[in-house]
Amino acid sequence: MKRRVEKGNVFVTPAIIWVFVFTIFPLVYSFRVSLSRVSYGKITGFAGLSNYMRMFGDYRFWGTLRFTLIFVLISVTATTFLGLGLALVFNRKMRGIKLFRSILTMPLFTAPVALGYLGVMMFYEENGPINVLLRYLGMGKVPWLSHPWWATLAVCMVDVWQWTPFAFIILLAGLQSISDEIYEAAVIDTSSGWAVFRHITLPLIAPVLGTVLMLRLVDAFKVFDVPFSLTSGGPGTATRTLTFYIYTQGLRNFDLGYASAMAYFLLAITMVIGTLFFRKYRELYE
Amino acid sequence: MKKLGVLVSILVILGLLFSFSVLWAQEGASELEIKTANEAFEKADKGNPDPAWKGQKLTIGVYSAGPRGAISGPLYFWRPYFEKLTGATYDIVEIPFAELREKIFTDLMTGTGTYDIIVGPSWFYGDYISNDWIIPSDKYLNDPRMPKWEPESILPPLQELYSWGGKWVGFNNDHDGQVLYYRRDILSDPKWQEEFKKETGKDLPVPPKTWEEVYEVAKFFNGKDWNGDGAPDYGITMHLKVAGQGFFHFMALSAPYVVSPAPGDDPKKVTRYHNVYWFDPETMEPLVNTPGFVEALNMLLKLSKTGPSAMWGWSLGEAWDAFLRGKAVITFSWGDVGSLSQLPDRSVIQGKLGVAPIPGSEKYYDLETKQWVEKRNFVANTVGASWHGVISKFSKNPDLAAYFLSWQATAPINHWNVVWGWTGVDPGTLYDLLQPTGKATIEEYVATGYNAEDAAQFVNAYEEMWYKYPLKQSYLRIPGTPEMWEIWDIHLSEAVTGQVTPEEALNRTAEDWNAIIDRLGREQLKKIYQEAIGYKPE
Repeated sequence: MKRRVEKGNVFVTPAIIWVFVFTIFPLVYSFRVSLSRVSYGKITGFAGLSNYMRMFGDYRFWGTLRFTLIFVLISVTATTFLGLGLALVFNRKMRGIKLFRSILTMPLFTAPVALGYLGVMMFYEENGPINVLLRYLGMGKVPWLSHPWWATLAVCMVDVWQWTPFAFIILLAGLQSISDEIYEAAVIDTSSGWAVFRHITLPLIAPVLGTVLMLRLVDAFKVFDVPFSLTSGGPGTATRTLTFYIYTQGLRNFDLGYASAMAYFLLAITMVIGTLFFRKYRELYE
Repeated sequence: MKKLGVLVSILVILGLLFSFSVLWAQEGASELEIKTANEAFEKADKGNPDPAWKGQKLTIGVYSAGPRGAISGPLYFWRPYFEKLTGATYDIVEIPFAELREKIFTDLMTGTGTYDIIVGPSWFYGDYISNDWIIPSDKYLNDPRMPKWEPESILPPLQELYSWGGKWVGFNNDHDGQVLYYRRDILSDPKWQEEFKKETGKDLPVPPKTWEEVYEVAKFFNGKDWNGDGAPDYGITMHLKVAGQGFFHFMALSAPYVVSPAPGDDPKKVTRYHNVYWFDPETMEPLVNTPGFVEALNMLLKLSKTGPSAMWGWSLGEAWDAFLRGKAVITFSWGDVGSLSQLPDRSVIQGKLGVAPIPGSEKYYDLETKQWVEKRNFVANTVGASWHGVISKFSKNPDLAAYFLSWQATAPINHWNVVWGWTGVDPGTLYDLLQPTGKATIEEYVATGYNAEDAAQFVNAYEEMWYKYPLKQSYLRIPGTPEMWEIWDIHLSEAVTGQVTPEEALNRTAEDWNAIIDRLGREQLKKIYQEAIGYKPE
């Protein structure tokens, strides 16, 4: 028995080393950096909490945080609703359904930065396909990339375009795991589709839905590639996310102390929101 | 076995694609390009390459524009010649514009030495010098192994960008400064001149000399179908997207409102209040929110309404394209527009190009008296990158790197790059200017496809700006410059898109610049700034 335990330890050791080297050490080191003065990548002294205090007086930090929250709200809500809607539509026997599913999931396998650059062409204000279509429909030219609110919408739309298939695949798997017998029994009690959805489908896919929401939430807080490639965070800083700002401060301006402090702040708010969300979610469905 | 076969086939295809992409720079060249390049190669001094260099390899980090694109293109084009000359070769590492700083500075900060040569922008110098990251070119000027190039041929305002503390630090290549481009055919058309007079009561200025005149012309033509394609056209085109280098537009536009001549015999003398643009040299307090800048930003906003609203989201390419496609009557930009206008696949305006030095202003703000002076003011600029090579201190083969850069800096090779527009190398040496001031002839330009009148307008505009303008705008070369410019760019974008007022945008810029100055050390920056602009405290 003892020898089996020893053997087991040997197998676990690489994983422990991996976690220490690639997770614990960077975490501890970046925390140290967040408490330091850093110039051109070199720690030049202890800064105490000044990097953390600096955030509170930095209007650019609050601006990027505000945009990040708006983005998370719009993007997570839209991807989840659209993904659920599509999953409900495709959760039935139809001709060519496999082909449709495959096509629908394609954006998921594209690099976000490539979608961002594709978005530049799609949203091009002069003769981009979207504005040409809108013009054809008798609508005016939309300033997709040069107006703060339209640019916000454009960034959200590209993200929704990419991530809706993710929600769709997971939720479709959830829907397909529900036994047909349950629905057959339900239709004896009610003929209302909404009632079946509300009282049968939704509670049964709730764990899957929770997973989708949680993963999307975490991912949306980290978004970087799409605003970077689509709008460069502009106009002004209208579409600059917190991760974009952290990247700029840390890797362009080499102000690593401040960048690390902001990264810790982002980690904290993601954890707080995640914890609150799960607590509420458990209350609702457990 | 079958799977292995598929894998091998894929690898072979990828290998072939890679080889084609490497060869493309030469393959895509026209016969005339090759012929003139061969002549330039024969004419250029070759020094005495060290036989020990045979088989060695350099790595060059450069702004990414591809094998036929600006600045990176010539590196691909000349590589076979360099291999023939030395038996050595080089890898070209293309870095996207937005990532230049982190890639290059990280390499230099950590002493990794990935890049032997960095073909970068001039605004990196503050950091290069203060951190001792580069080997000055001065060291190699009299080395008998090196091809002879002529630093003195670089025009005086640009020489400052290639030197530091009286020593040459960079190797001659690109020369940036913004000038005014306009449609010569439209502005000199009697029909439009008459309509302009009727509408404004003034004569149509050809070319517009001040920003106020530029505004009147752009406003008049905006929304009119002046190119006869049945759709309304634009007055002006600019690149105003954040991170789209729009702040260079503002830099060039604001100079005459801000830079004032010194009283007395020498109007060019740098004093605390005169011939300064960036900071008060006594306190390092930013001047960016002084009335001259505010007036200039209001002018930029007015101008931005005389073109497509889409240009608030445009980068360089889109803005140039609108002018080159004949949709805008005016733009102001670097030499690239002049050379691109001669390429039939990019432009419909060959033979119709008008070029003038950068406009001045009808008034300027005197920082000493804190009064506006109602007098025309003209200020030359060297805004932009003036992309050129420097040798990394961490290079494993600095001598070979110096050989390559010296050879590229020789007059025949550099001038060849200038006359072929796709290279992105802009004119700025005596051998680019026309005789009698310079050494070039109009035939040299015509031989590469230029329209004679376009070429004369193009080169003479630069000559007039850099030789005849009474004042010049200083270039910012202190540590932290890239960060300051990025912040400025963001705040200008906020103002242009109406998120904040011009005053607010410029106050925010000043506030942020002060924070950077305090973080990096005000006294240290002040010393470097004073040295860079030639200010001597009294």
